[in-house]
Amino acid sequence: MGQDPAAVAEILNKHVRRRSKAKKRSEYLFSYGTAMIKVSHLSKRFPGVTAVDDVSFEVRQGEIVGFLGPNGAGKTTTMRILCGYLPASRGRVEVAGHDVFSESLEVRRRIGYMPENVPLYPEMRVDEYLMFRAQLRGLPLRDGRRRLEEVRALCGLENAGRRIIGQLSKGYRQRVGLADALIHDPELVILDEPTIGLDPNQIREVRDLIRSLAPRHTVLLSTHILSEAEVTCERVIIINRGRIVASDSPANLRRLVHIGAVVRVELKAEKPQVRGVLAGLPAVENLVVEGEDNGWLRVRVEGSADVDLRENIFDAVTQRGWKLRELHMEPSRLEEVFASLTQGETVSETSGAGQKEDSVE
Amino acid sequence: MKRFLILWRKEVATYFLSPIGYIVMIFFLVVMGFSFWLLVNVLSQGTEGGAVMNELFGSIFFWITLLIVAPVVTMRLFSEEKRSGTLETLMTAPVRDTEVVLAKYAGALTFYVLLWVPTAAYAFILKMFELPGTPVDLGPMYSGYAGALLVGAFYLAVGIFTSSLTRNQIVAAIACFALICSAFFAGFLPYLVRSPQMRDALGYVSSVMYMMDFSRGAPDTRAVVFHLSGVVLMLFLTVKVLESRRWL
Repeated sequence: MGQDPAAVAEILNKHVRRRSKAKKRSEYLFSYGTAMIKVSHLSKRFPGVTAVDDVSFEVRQGEIVGFLGPNGAGKTTTMRILCGYLPASRGRVEVAGHDVFSESLEVRRRIGYMPENVPLYPEMRVDEYLMFRAQLRGLPLRDGRRRLEEVRALCGLENAGRRIIGQLSKGYRQRVGLADALIHDPELVILDEPTIGLDPNQIREVRDLIRSLAPRHTVLLSTHILSEAEVTCERVIIINRGRIVASDSPANLRRLVHIGAVVRVELKAEKPQVRGVLAGLPAVENLVVEGEDNGWLRVRVEGSADVDLRENIFDAVTQRGWKLRELHMEPSRLEEVFASLTQGETVSETSGAGQKEDSVE
Repeated sequence: MKRFLILWRKEVATYFLSPIGYIVMIFFLVVMGFSFWLLVNVLSQGTEGGAVMNELFGSIFFWITLLIVAPVVTMRLFSEEKRSGTLETLMTAPVRDTEVVLAKYAGALTFYVLLWVPTAAYAFILKMFELPGTPVDLGPMYSGYAGALLVGAFYLAVGIFTSSLTRNQIVAAIACFALICSAFFAGFLPYLVRSPQMRDALGYVSSVMYMMDFSRGAPDTRAVVFHLSGVVLMLFLTVKVLESRRWL
């Protein structure tokens, strides 16, 4: 056979998913390789709120996995449980084969955790802080110094060692937080909203850095920015109201939710005629004239999934001798997937989700 | 043990990285210097074997200083970590709750001891200007230091406990101040009650009376037991508060 075990697992998963469409999606049934994180039936209740509700997932060694969800979905709570900061109300969580509750210290030694908003001691200097953190994680002095050099280079802190943390800009604080999470060379790096509050250049740098961590480190990061998950992560776990609503690679997620194709056309013709002709084409489900500019009509055509409308539209337009200056298909974006998954609809019923195009970022 | 030392060193260093550390030091030395001036005044008027070290270790200045210094020194310990979120990074490092509490407490106690160090100069000054024939007995001074350490240790333990309860330093300081003031004023109860049994019983928990013994040069093991059990209780409660986030 000689098949890639990952591919086999994917096929099996797809099969299971298909057979249990309307049921819970929180079970991730097949995986390959060693599991770095193993979460099964995890629940966390605070008085009056269930922050995490029967969540199960696995993260394999060397994977970069994104936790995606709106604010308050339970991302931070799950991460805190993984790091042993909070206990689970129910369920079992293992990191590198160690139970996070009964072998908390073992787990914490293997984790580099950067909480949201990067809490640091403002009165310390960067090097001082990083050395303190390295020693706290049990690094001998010499290893600590070596790692300090390494992470400073990795996180772009070469010239910031003597600076006082309280006087650093947000971007630099973020780098210090990352360096702190990496200094003891942990097997698992957990980053809560690693790019929040950064400018676009810094965001790109942080993303590149995160991508460079795999496969040496396993990375679990949370974000509510979809494009970030799409760019950085090999796999995305979408979580909403404490439940996992989907878990797959960004590409597969897009396929999973059958979002209709959207084609944008700009042409010169009379409005009623355009409507009549284009709406009459096969597989066209909706047609919106979005604007007019010197006789050029901007039309948005929505069709059912997996159909390329462009050829038919082109034929129709040329047959009538209309002028055409734009014809392009928009790839369905993860944002639409996200919107459709987190707004209370079942995954299998979201064929019309393309209409909710103006979603968050 | 190694982690304890690392944490302890960081705590002590933090006192010298913030202005509050220096302000407390200045305040402390000014008041203690004033107390020393009073002591020298009493000596210059000539007393006969009186408990003069009371001026340094039993006066109202001593007590007020202690009641103010203890909350200010400890208020930051946990509240600041809670407020800024660093408690999360700290507690997700491989450290035990007990280690963190003990290291922070040891840091505060170290700073407190360092506050007293310059006052050792008073002993030298007294010795230097000693008149022939009337030797200065430094015994009460040593036991006075021991008493100051005991009472201070207890008050600091109360402070670390209140600091673990809240994310607001001011609230922590005021709560600590209220608690140690109550303990301080309770020390005067033996003077107020009539029944001798009650007086004896209350005498066991009176830091004020213990300090008077200590500054006379008559240290009492009951004081050691009382204050150290207070320290243990407060630190135990602090560990429990820190653990309590895992109880839900």
